[in-house]
Amino acid sequence: MEGFVAAKLDEFDRGKISRRRLIETLTLAATAVYATDRATAAESPPLKVALVNHISYSCPNFRQAGDWYSKVFNLDQVGLKDTEVTLPFGKMGEQPYNVTAKDVPLTFQICRALDRPQNPRTSGRPKPDAVIDHIGYTVADFNRERVKADLIAMGVKNVRDGGLYSLHMDDPFGFDVQISGLENNALTDG
Amino acid sequence: MERFIADLVKNYESGKVDRREFCKTVALAATVYAAGDAAKAQAPRGLKMIGINHISYTCPDYAKARDWYASVLGMEKTAGKDNGQRANLMFGPEPGKGGSFVVARTATRPANPRPPAQSVVDHVCYTISNWNDARVEAGLKATGRPYTARSGNVNVLDPFNYPVQLANIEQENPWI
Repeated sequence: MEGFVAAKLDEFDRGKISRRRLIETLTLAATAVYATDRATAAESPPLKVALVNHISYSCPNFRQAGDWYSKVFNLDQVGLKDTEVTLPFGKMGEQPYNVTAKDVPLTFQICRALDRPQNPRTSGRPKPDAVIDHIGYTVADFNRERVKADLIAMGVKNVRDGGLYSLHMDDPFGFDVQISGLENNALTDG
Repeated sequence: MERFIADLVKNYESGKVDRREFCKTVALAATVYAAGDAAKAQAPRGLKMIGINHISYTCPDYAKARDWYASVLGMEKTAGKDNGQRANLMFGPEPGKGGSFVVARTATRPANPRPPAQSVVDHVCYTISNWNDARVEAGLKATGRPYTARSGNVNVLDPFNYPVQLANIEQENPWI
C-alpha cells in the first residue's frame, strides 16, 4: 500500500496528476485495502465480545462522580443504591449505536463507593498487575473547539488536546477521561 | 474530509510532513472517510453519548495481553497498530461506525507523570451475544485462568489478574 501511495506521490510531485486526482486515488486505494483486510481476518474464536456492557468505576464519592458524568455526558441516573448509581448511555429501549443484535444492551457505567462491602463472589482476588489508566468515550457530532469551550465553561479540570481527534480531561477524582468523535477509532488512534 | 486531505497535501508540499507520514495518514483518513457515516444527529443540548471509544489498559507485557484478549475474547488485532509497545484490539461495530477497542500498553515511565487518581476502574464487563453457558465456560476453561460462572454471567481474571466480566443482556442490563 505504501509503495502505491509513494508512486502516486511521485506522479503528483512531477505534475502528472492533479491534487484532486491524488486525493481521490489514495482514498479509493486505502478503502480497498481495508476491506480486504477485514475479509481475510482470522477465523472466529469461541467467544467474541459484542460491546462493552459496563464499566465499574469506584471512587471516594459515587454520588459526586455520578453527577459529574451525568452533567458532562448528558446521562440519566438509574438504580440508585446505598453504594452505587448506574448511568446508561441512552434511554430505555434504545439500541446501541450501529448494533443490530437485539441481545446487546446499551453500555452503562456504574459509579461505586470505594469503601463498599466486598462482594463475596469476588473477594480474595489477587491484586491486578494491570490498570485501566483512562477511558475514551465517543460522542456524536464532536467538534473539539466547541466541546472544549463547553467543558471549560462547566468547570471541568485540566481540559487538553489529545491527538488529532480528541480531548482529555480530569474527572473530579483525577481520573483521565478522553472524549472524541467517531474519527478517533482503532485505525486512527496510536 | 477533503479539507483534511488537502491540508495534508499542503503540509507535505511545505515539508512539514514527510513522505512516510503522509502515506500513513492518508491511508487512515481515507479509511475513516469510507467507513464513516458519522453520527449526524446533534444532541438537543450538550453531548450525546455514543459509547465507549476505547479502554486504555496498561500492564507489564502488552503482547501477552494482546494475545489473550484476541484469542479468548475474540478481539481483532488492528493491522498497522502494533508498535512493539502497544496494540489496538477492535470489537463491536466497525471502526468509525461506533466500534470500540482496547489499547493494550506495556507500562513505561511517562515523561510527565500525572498525580495518581483517587478512583479506579475496578472491572470491565463485556456483552456476549447469543450467549450459551456451555460455550462460554468451555472457552474460559481452555484459557487455564481462574473464573467463576453463573448462568449468563462469568468473572475471569486476565493474564495480569485484571477482573473481566462477561454477561448476557438478562444478567447485566441497566434497567433490570
